[in-house]
Amino acid sequence: MTGERLNAPMGLLINRDQPVSFSFEGRHYRGYAGDSIASALIGNGQWLMSRSFKYHRPRSVLTMAGQDANTLVQLASDPNVLADRTPVSEALRVEGQNYAGSLEGDRDALLNHFGRFMPVGFYYRAFYKPKGIWDWWEKAIRKKAGLGVVDLNATAGYHDKEFLHYDVVIIGAGPAGLSAALTAADAGVSVLLVDENPVIGGALTYSRFDPAGVHADGLRNELSEKVLNHTNIRVMTEATCNAWFTDNWLPVIQGKRLYKVRAKECIVAAGAYEQHVVFRNNDLPGVMMCSAADRLMKLYAVRPGKKAVILAGNDEAYLTALALAEQGVHVAALIDMRDKAQDPALADAVAEACINIKTGMTVYEALPQAGNKHIRAVDVRAITGQGKVADQGEIIDCDLLCMSAGFMPAYQLLCQAGARLSYDDERARFEITDLQPHLHIAGSVNGVYTLNAVLADGKAKALKALELLGKAPAEPVPAVHCEKQMNYHWPIFKHPQAKEFVDFDEDLQIKDIVNATRIGYRDVQLVKRFSTVGMGPSQGRHSALPTARLVADATERSVSETGVTTARPPFNAEKLAVIAGRAFDPYRQSAMHHRHVELGAKMIPAGSWQRPAFYGAAENRLECIAKEAHAVRNKVAVIDVSTLGGIELRGPDAAEFMNRIYTFGFLKQAVGRTRYAVLTNEQGVVIDDGVSCRFAEDCFYVTATTTGVDSVYRNMTRWNAMWRLRVDISNVTSAFAAVNLAGPDSRKVLEKITDLDVSAQAFPYLDCHEADIKTAAGNIPARLLRVGFVGELGYEIHVPSRYGEALWDVVMQAGAEFGITPFGVETQRLLRLEKGHIIVSQDTDGMSHPGELSLGWAINRKKPFFVGCRSVDIVMNAKQTRKLVGFTLPADLRHKGLKPEEGHIVLRGDDISGNITSCEYSPALDAIIGLGYVGIDQADTGSQFRIRVSGGHEVQAVVTELPFYDADNKRQEM
Amino acid sequence: MTDTMVTPGDTLARSGLYRKIADAEFLSTPESAIAASYSADDSEQARNCGLCDLTPVIRTGWRGKTAAEHLQSLGYPVPENPNQALTKDSGETLVRLSRTEFWVLGSLQDMGTAVTEAARQPSPGSDCYPLFCQDSHAWLMLSGDHCAGVMAKLCGVDMRAQSFPPGSVAQTSVARINAIVVHHQVAGTDVFSLLFDAGYHAYLWDVLQDAMAEFSGAPVGVRAFGI
Repeated sequence: MTGERLNAPMGLLINRDQPVSFSFEGRHYRGYAGDSIASALIGNGQWLMSRSFKYHRPRSVLTMAGQDANTLVQLASDPNVLADRTPVSEALRVEGQNYAGSLEGDRDALLNHFGRFMPVGFYYRAFYKPKGIWDWWEKAIRKKAGLGVVDLNATAGYHDKEFLHYDVVIIGAGPAGLSAALTAADAGVSVLLVDENPVIGGALTYSRFDPAGVHADGLRNELSEKVLNHTNIRVMTEATCNAWFTDNWLPVIQGKRLYKVRAKECIVAAGAYEQHVVFRNNDLPGVMMCSAADRLMKLYAVRPGKKAVILAGNDEAYLTALALAEQGVHVAALIDMRDKAQDPALADAVAEACINIKTGMTVYEALPQAGNKHIRAVDVRAITGQGKVADQGEIIDCDLLCMSAGFMPAYQLLCQAGARLSYDDERARFEITDLQPHLHIAGSVNGVYTLNAVLADGKAKALKALELLGKAPAEPVPAVHCEKQMNYHWPIFKHPQAKEFVDFDEDLQIKDIVNATRIGYRDVQLVKRFSTVGMGPSQGRHSALPTARLVADATERSVSETGVTTARPPFNAEKLAVIAGRAFDPYRQSAMHHRHVELGAKMIPAGSWQRPAFYGAAENRLECIAKEAHAVRNKVAVIDVSTLGGIELRGPDAAEFMNRIYTFGFLKQAVGRTRYAVLTNEQGVVIDDGVSCRFAEDCFYVTATTTGVDSVYRNMTRWNAMWRLRVDISNVTSAFAAVNLAGPDSRKVLEKITDLDVSAQAFPYLDCHEADIKTAAGNIPARLLRVGFVGELGYEIHVPSRYGEALWDVVMQAGAEFGITPFGVETQRLLRLEKGHIIVSQDTDGMSHPGELSLGWAINRKKPFFVGCRSVDIVMNAKQTRKLVGFTLPADLRHKGLKPEEGHIVLRGDDISGNITSCEYSPALDAIIGLGYVGIDQADTGSQFRIRVSGGHEVQAVVTELPFYDADNKRQEM
Repeated sequence: MTDTMVTPGDTLARSGLYRKIADAEFLSTPESAIAASYSADDSEQARNCGLCDLTPVIRTGWRGKTAAEHLQSLGYPVPENPNQALTKDSGETLVRLSRTEFWVLGSLQDMGTAVTEAARQPSPGSDCYPLFCQDSHAWLMLSGDHCAGVMAKLCGVDMRAQSFPPGSVAQTSVARINAIVVHHQVAGTDVFSLLFDAGYHAYLWDVLQDAMAEFSGAPVGVRAFGI
């Protein structure tokens, strides 16, 4: 069954030729394509959609606009879905949520009778006594907490982001937005029109703007056609602008995409939220905003009831009464809280429709059917004062109550932009002021309600935006005024039996707000935090104003003085997947990357680079590392060092620049020689190191750490911006691919692939040369560096990166007869540790100065300046507190799980005197070796110190002279 | 370029991408191989939304106070301001990145051979330094009607034609990496050349393919541009 629907032109959004089947709580229903879940359910007579958060009261539609939490339902993998905003689709499975047993027979509905025992904030004062009881309560509370059920197996799907740039962005495609869009677009600027509904038109799509109800449709068709066909306008429907950020940066969510919109001018024409009347049982299914009834009929052709009562605080409710009557709903009475309608013609039209108007009265209580499942009648009383009613009233039977206490502007985005929302207590009118220069408001958000004024306001704001865009308006900007009164000043009626809901999301009643002020929370922000008012999914759209009124009254201030709570992004609930979007996780691969993969390398990240840790299966890590280390120490091996930072310095002042940047002296560095280079910052802390290679009088090629090179390059360019030396600085890290060919047989391999004389005499330790690497396909220009990082005879070969893979191939081919082995980063770390070489950022921290690292030899004391020289002098002359030392431990500790790890602490008595920075088992030494900071009194060679390792155990290490391996460096200098 | 089919893994110089585009037919360049075509309708694909790896094409650059003069002496038109590009009739595109830094992107007609010749000319003294852009940067070229749409998903700069006309250059962030985006023309077709750290070659190729999918984008070879 699709249920009986109203005749066209009702049902603007539905396609009656396309029935849709879906299920709710296991029962099958039929609706139409274009229906929301809520409209399809009500069309089938199914009103109950959810249970309230705290008291589990039955709830149904309130706004039919996704502005409240009453229609939150559960989809298969999607909790807390707004049924009045989400379309039905074929075979859609919908469930209720937040109930025990069934939605209809929720066992937790009993909580409705225990409200007096659960006042606001009761959970702050309960559950923790007697001591230890929280452990029990926590389980129970966690079981009850939350609304829908998260599907832990759900996949996020594909979400992404897109940047958009427009001259004018208009939020809201109601009459003001449409008018503004056309005015701006006709002037030739680009316009983006954003609206959260499936069709544009805003209130024109559902509201009645004249007693006969003839004006809106024609105007909507005319404006929509022009807008949709305008080449300068892009329309985004079912899209939400979820925040305002500085300089009109607007995040707009449409489907699974987050649009990051940049607007030169932004016009917010987002409308206003209809407000409810606060009376007992105002949450019953069948009690809704007037606009909700209008939407049900006009958009979905659903008749919201058979017998209605209208509760009016403005003239808009009169139009709803007429619309209901026109669609065959018996309107039993129109209860107007005011003394009379503002527009007498409207009152006449309602009277002519045989609707009984009762002025100066209100609904004091909605009377429920059994189980609070629906409204059955209203208790109507005369208003005798602010919030006060007569003792006796009249009971009027009805199954629908439509209410309109007033309208509150959609102020959220504007207040995020720093605007001020003020309220005129005398006239019950809102005003938004202090707007950003390129942010404008038009229509009902600006307090303008009559249709002609709304259209004029949209046009006026577009003309203002055009003026700011440098497009002089062809006509003067009209002044727009609207005296239409929309808000009833006090639509709040306390009932001795309570359940007059201020905030539907959180089940907050009048007494909850008032009690918060009595406890001492006079500020509305504190009332919010104590009571949670406005913290639910609707974010205070309906609760902010009555809360402000109640707090104002309780604290004897005006509403304007009280204010409303801060509006923060997001405007609507948004999924984390939307914020994350399509994740960009940049990675870099060297030119030899695929060769490593082909050889079975275990790849690990090193900064943004992917590097081989070792070659072989992860479960054989230690064996693989030992095998690779053995090859380096005994034969020949090769490692990809392309990721090593590289900086090229060229120009007549290159040597002077090097001399100022690094701690060593570089003016006299010979061409063809390398030199260790240490970089300190202005605080004297070691921040990087590398090897300086001088290839010409005016050309240095200096290496830097893989993760530090970008920072080093930035520092260099920053310093030279001040020094103005004649030197060109280039970060050439990615321009060169490089390998380190290491091991006793490395010279034999190199000899096979270059004509350069690589003998110990012609190419000694610390030399560097340019030469060709020979391959079958041709020669590769290369830079050769004689280095000793891993402590063996070794050569770094640097080539333009386009030849990187060919270099790897030729080295592996040439080394095959010597059993060449590729080795990875983890092996390299072990080998350098055996040589006692530090890795900056692993063995150093934010306080490490050269003295602590025993790098005094790398500091030139004769030159007048280097970056950090003054600080280095100060910290090295001060009393030393710690030192980085080498240490050893017995090899068998590793089998007992007692090998120290990086970060383990060094003890002096009960105090912490340092920490371990590197520690490995060395197969070459058959010992555990490491580097660590110890107290200065613990640093002498042969001293013993304690290390606290995993499990709280302690081991005794011995300070050992560095290097651990090949103390006289004969192997690397052979 | 010779019209010889080659296997990209056999050449001395190799694009870091050649395994990813192994389904292409490759043509030889002076020292490398370049994807020539993927299918018969590459040209149509390029007009709609195509992505071409031009990393093997020769490019070079100079930086220094006399770099502009040096380029003019080599016969290159020098853009008046930074972040502008000019394309010669012969197809080379000169990109001005700052007051003193210029890159020259080789023509597809000769795969950059003319640029190689220019690079061999001696620099005029100490205030003009050749750059390493042939190796430091990879070169991908996005073509077709949806260039701006693809870039809008990856980059915060407005690259629609009215804001970023041919001859425009943006030095910006694309999918979280630094990139130079040049809007120029190849064989009469508007294209965006993206030049970025060569280490990110595979990363950005995949990212662009992902962004292009919405527009039915696909890799294209240089033959799509009449080569």
